Amino acid sequence: MSGRRISPFWALCVAAGILVVVFVAMPAASMLAGAGAGLLGEALRQDDVRRSLVLTVSAALITTVIGFVAGVPLAYLLARKEFPGKRAVEGLIDVPIVFPHTAAGIALLTVYGRQGIAGRLLAPLGLEFTETVAGIVLAMLFVSLPFLVDGSREAFALVDERYEHVARTLGSSRFGAFARVTFPQAWRGVLAGALLMWGRGISEFGAVVILAYNPKVISVLTFERFEGFGLRAAQPPAVLIVLVAFLVFVLVRALSAPRRRRSGTEPP
Amino acid sequence: MTRSRQRRPRRPRGGATRVAPALAALFLLAVALGGCGSGARQVRLMYAGSLIVPFERLATAFEEQNPGVDVVTESHGSIQVLRHVTELNDRVDVVVSADEQLIPPLMYERDDPATGRPWASWYCSFATNRVVLAVSPRSPLADELTPHTWYRRLAAGDVRFGLADPRFDAAGYRALMVLQLAEREYDEPLLLEDTLVGRFTTPITVEHEKGVDVIEVPEILETSAGSNIVLRGASIQLVALLESGDLDCAFEYESVARQHGLKYVRLPASVDLGHERLRDRYASVRVKLDFRRFASVRPEFTGDVIRYALTIPANAPDAELARRFVAFLLGPEGRRILAADHQPLLRPPEPDDPAAVPEEVRRACAGAG
Repeated sequence: MSGRRISPFWALCVAAGILVVVFVAMPAASMLAGAGAGLLGEALRQDDVRRSLVLTVSAALITTVIGFVAGVPLAYLLARKEFPGKRAVEGLIDVPIVFPHTAAGIALLTVYGRQGIAGRLLAPLGLEFTETVAGIVLAMLFVSLPFLVDGSREAFALVDERYEHVARTLGSSRFGAFARVTFPQAWRGVLAGALLMWGRGISEFGAVVILAYNPKVISVLTFERFEGFGLRAAQPPAVLIVLVAFLVFVLVRALSAPRRRRSGTEPP
Repeated sequence: MTRSRQRRPRRPRGGATRVAPALAALFLLAVALGGCGSGARQVRLMYAGSLIVPFERLATAFEEQNPGVDVVTESHGSIQVLRHVTELNDRVDVVVSADEQLIPPLMYERDDPATGRPWASWYCSFATNRVVLAVSPRSPLADELTPHTWYRRLAAGDVRFGLADPRFDAAGYRALMVLQLAEREYDEPLLLEDTLVGRFTTPITVEHEKGVDVIEVPEILETSAGSNIVLRGASIQLVALLESGDLDCAFEYESVARQHGLKYVRLPASVDLGHERLRDRYASVRVKLDFRRFASVRPEFTGDVIRYALTIPANAPDAELARRFVAFLLGPEGRRILAADHQPLLRPPEPDDPAAVPEEVRRACAGAG
C-alpha cells in the first residue's frame, strides 16, 4: 500500500479476507453464544454426556501418547535424513488427511476387524477393535497421526543441524545431542503438533463410528442425539465438544506464536 | 487443517499464471454441476434403510420414464425417517416407513407448525417382510446356528450378534419382539432376559401386563464393555459387519439378507412377524420406549405383522410428482422391481383410509390387486 491510495489489489485481498473470516466466525460464534451457562450445566449433568466426554478426551490422549512415541522419531528421521523413497513415505503419512474418514474406518475394519489380518493376530492378546476403546484409539490414531508427524518434522527442520554437530564434537552422544540441543529448540512445534493431533482425535467421527459405535465418543453421541432426539437434545454435547476443541485451539495458538517469532534467532 | 502443510518447502511451479486457469476451470465445473440439479424437477424420497436396494432401482427406473426428473434418495431407520420430516424440517415428497404403526402417532397426531395442519392424513401399506437371523459367511459359528439352536446360542453369550437400535429403527424393536415371541414358541421362559441381561449399561426389562409381555427399553441404550451384542442405528448398518465377519449373526429382514446374498436362519412363523394369520399371536408382545428426557414419540409398539407403508407429507415440495412416483411404485413396473429384489408385497396395497388417499394412489392400489 503506497501513500493514501489503496490499490485494487489490496482491496480485493481485504474483501476476500473479510468474507472468509465471517464465513468461519459465524457458526463458531453461534455455537459458543448458544453455549450459555445453562446449556453447559445441562450437558455436564447428563450422565451419558459426562461419560462420553471423559472417554473422548482420554482416548484422544492415549492416541496422542502412542502417536508421540511412534511419530516423533519418524519426524526426526524425515527432517534430517535423505533416503530412497523418502518422498513416498512423506506422502503416505499424509494420506489419512485426504482419506474420507468413513473410508478410513472401513479400511481399518478390513485390517483390524475380527477377520482382518491384524485383527486375528492381535485377538489372542485380548486386543479387539470393534466396539472397544482400542477401536476408538485406532481410528483416532489413523486420522490424526499426520498432524503430529508433520508438525514435528517442521519443528526439527527449523533447528540448524550444525548445533547438533557442535554438541557431538563436544562429546555428546546422538541421544544427548537430541535431548539437550534439538528437542529443547523444537519442543514447541512438537507439542503444537501433539495438541493438534489430540484435538483432531477428539473431534473424529467418521472412522470411529464404523469401528466403535459403542462406547460412544462425543461426536457419535452428538450425532445420535441429533438423529434420534432432535436439535435440542444434540446441543449439550455439541456445545461441549466445541468448547473443548476451542480450548485445544487456543493452546495450539499460544504455543505456535512465540516459536514463529524466534525461528530466525540464534539459540541461547 | 492444512496450515502446517503449506509451510513445507515446495519446488516452484510457475505460480499464479498456472493456478489461475485451473481455479477458473474448477469454478466453472462447480457452477455446471450445481446447475445440473437445480434445473431438473426433483422428487425427494426418504425411506426405511431396508429398502435401499430396490429403491435405488426404482429411482433409476422412474428417472428413465420421466426425463428431466431428478430422484433424490435418503434412508434411515424408520423412526428417523419420519422425524426427519416432523422434527428436522426436511422437506420430503414421499416417506416410506417399515412400520405402518409409526405414521399415525408421528404424523397424524402432530401438526406442522408452519401450517397448523397434521404432517400427513393417510398412508398406504404396500409391502411386508419376515425377520430372519442373518449369518455371516465368515463366522466360525455359521454351521451351528440352525432353526433349532439359534436362540440357545444367542442366550449362551458366545455369539456376537447385531441388533438395530430399538429406539430408532423398526427392525430393532421387532428383533426384541422376536426374542420374546421365541420364549413362547420354544418354551424358554427367560430367553429374552438371558439373551440381553448384562449386555447393556442400563438393562432392557420385561413386565407382564394382562397377558401381554411388555419389553421396556431404557432411554440411554449402550452396550456394556465386553458385550457380545453390537448395536447400530439401523439394521442395514449391520450388513457390512456381517460381511466383514465382525458379527456372527444379526436380526435382519429376509429381503435384506437375500439382497446381500447372506445365509440366514428362517424363524418359525409364530415368531418372524411375517404372517397375517398370526397377528393375534404377535400382539402378545409390546415394546415400550422410555423417553423421559426428549419425549416426542408415543413410545409403544405392539407386535404385529410387518407392513411397510408410504405417505406424502402435507408439506411435500412437489406433491404432484410425489403422487406420480407413488403410482409408479404401486404400479406393475414398481412392483416388478420390488419383487425382483425379494421384497414381499401386499396384494393389493391397502390404504388406511381410502377416502383420504389421493385419487392417483387409490387407482394404483386398485390396479395392483
